[in-house]
Amino acid sequence: MKKKLLSAVLAGVTVLSLAGCGGGGGGSSAGGNQAGGGSGDAGGTLTVAIWDNGQKAGLDQIIADYTAATGNKAEIQVITWDQYWTLLEAGASGGDMPDVFWMHSNEAQRYMSNGILMDLTDRIAASEKLEMDKFPDELKELYQYDGKTYAIPKDMDTIALWYNKTMFDEAGIAYPDETWTWDDFYDAAVALTKDDGSQYGTAMNPSNEQDGYLNIIYSMGGYVLSEDKKSSGFDDPNTIKAMNFVDSLIKDAMPPATVMAETGTDVLLNSGKIAMLTQGSWMVPAFKENEYIAENCDVAVLPMDAETGRRVSIYNGLGWAVNANTDNPEAAWQLVEWFGTKDAQLKQAQLGVTMAAYDGVSDDWKNNTDLFNLEPYLDMREDVVFRPATRATLTWWNMMTADLKEAWSGNCTMEEACQKVAEDMNKCLAEE
Amino acid sequence: MANTKNASPKANKQTKVKTKWTSRQKSECVWGWAFILPTMIGLIVLNIIPIFQTIYQSFFKTGDFGRGNIFIGIENYKTILSDPEVWQALVNTFKYAVVEVPFSIAIALVLAVLLNRKMHGRAAYRTIFFLPMVAAPAAVAMVWRWLYNSEFGLLNNIFGTKINWISNPSIAVFSVAVIGVWSILGYNMVLFLAGLQDIPKDYYEASSIDGASGIYQFFHITIPLLSPTIFFVSVTRIIGGLQVFDLIFMVMDRNNPALYKTESLVYLFYQYSFVNNNKGLGSAIVVFLLVIIMIITVIQMRAQKLVYYN
Repeated sequence: MKKKLLSAVLAGVTVLSLAGCGGGGGGSSAGGNQAGGGSGDAGGTLTVAIWDNGQKAGLDQIIADYTAATGNKAEIQVITWDQYWTLLEAGASGGDMPDVFWMHSNEAQRYMSNGILMDLTDRIAASEKLEMDKFPDELKELYQYDGKTYAIPKDMDTIALWYNKTMFDEAGIAYPDETWTWDDFYDAAVALTKDDGSQYGTAMNPSNEQDGYLNIIYSMGGYVLSEDKKSSGFDDPNTIKAMNFVDSLIKDAMPPATVMAETGTDVLLNSGKIAMLTQGSWMVPAFKENEYIAENCDVAVLPMDAETGRRVSIYNGLGWAVNANTDNPEAAWQLVEWFGTKDAQLKQAQLGVTMAAYDGVSDDWKNNTDLFNLEPYLDMREDVVFRPATRATLTWWNMMTADLKEAWSGNCTMEEACQKVAEDMNKCLAEE
Repeated sequence: MANTKNASPKANKQTKVKTKWTSRQKSECVWGWAFILPTMIGLIVLNIIPIFQTIYQSFFKTGDFGRGNIFIGIENYKTILSDPEVWQALVNTFKYAVVEVPFSIAIALVLAVLLNRKMHGRAAYRTIFFLPMVAAPAAVAMVWRWLYNSEFGLLNNIFGTKINWISNPSIAVFSVAVIGVWSILGYNMVLFLAGLQDIPKDYYEASSIDGASGIYQFFHITIPLLSPTIFFVSVTRIIGGLQVFDLIFMVMDRNNPALYKTESLVYLFYQYSFVNNNKGLGSAIVVFLLVIIMIITVIQMRAQKLVYYN
């Protein structure tokens, strides 16, 4: 009996400890990630965390310049977008974070208001290299809280339309241009869809918000988040109109939702399954490397809405932030300062890493490759809407994706899904 | 805590009978503790303390970065118990375990018996079956994701089918379970092989002389004598199966229409804790899972009387 009891207790402990593993998992994995970084010793290498592998090569070159100029070393770690925030959050809670990292509008307010990021205000004021007035105001404001600045703008991105020239030629349809309305887009997408399922007009997943349906919503006069950030715009008639337009595309010109979910829209484009794709400027480095896209595809501006006449691109920009508790504040500051200088911004654009946040140097970005005409991405800056963000953006953002998924897979109508998003989103916003 | 309670009466009894320890006993005692100390410290720091922290945290509405937590009593539990998604995740978790555990045990058992004989290339086969265990789960999941892909996947291409293996809500969870079976097979097999080595050859010889067939021997000698190992494997596998996370996380994209019918409790815990940053609610889900696993383990312990210890 005693033996049995003991084994039962032991089994219980095993169960508990496994559950505990789950609970503590975030902390320990963040620790593991840090192990190679060596942020501990003051003279050591700075750890720099980013989530986009496509930008690493270019940023490495800029860091090499920084090392040559200052003697400080820095090393980039790429962590995928999904895990980036998990690790950063765990690092912020557990005190072990990278020294320098990217900040995104989704999370900026939470990080700034909790003192996780180093206050750069005085250093920026004292800096001789930085010209903060050269950065767009909206970008700077993203990373300001209570009158203090917590990050230096890194880049900006817009959305444009990729299209497969070969497929357009084959169907005898003129390439998309600045005269296109969303209705032209729909007609072309339907015309480019083949009945046997070997080719579709376009593709979009519920998670392609910034690079997909949000642009259509704002073009058609709808909105997602009210000005005061207190209520959802998903029950706005114009928003619903735009989403119904997306719905007709899903039904008439896109692969089945299951295929898009399994394969991803960028893979569909580079495997010759779809003729058009709205995509952000951040994808250019990856598309450049892809032989099929390099050979067959080019870029145009997004279509405009016939009624409003607007051609909106959602617009966002990252910031370089410093860990408030870094062991090496001077070197870390020098690095973000370096990234913000005109030379580094210009180099970032020339290397094709991303468009620069610094005013006037992005023209060099479009020349980073002669495979595509990147001008449309720059043209899209004319009418931009900032990517909507609140204090806890991701909570309602992910829920929005999940609710819309139901419409994508046909379990409810698009209008019902929009109403559900509005309802859930208002609930989330009320709790913030 | 319960552990020491259980062990201490014994120790007390001993000290009462022999009030004075010989130097040998003393040194054994010291060394005994010295040997288990590293494990104990590891367990306490990495497992035991986090368990209690998790339980404690489940009663709070957690603030940003673990600061400003507000005590809200059992509010988190009310939320999760009234959330249909949690119950759906529980059903999904059970579906997964119901496929993974029996199949991985049955197939591994047969493989172990077959590979326990003297045969050519035995080591090679054993290695091949164990290999999935060595591969990183993330890599395994990525490969399977492409095998399953409905457009370009190898499976649909070979069979000429158009099945949405991982995006059809009614079969996706089973497709994931198949990956689970495949990757755990080798581990179970090694445990069974170890168990088989302990069965004396005499039994088989004697029964062969009496005219028992291989299959008869398998059911009447191998299985009963292997039952302690089978019991151990099934207890640990059920616990492991109910905690499935990495496969689902890697295989199921968040756009996947089948996600709702596939996500496990631990997946949900991850979503709440680390994506939505609601650690309190996440903790409540793990404690909920913990209670379920405890109940199942107690039931299994009751069934232990079917196990044949010699």
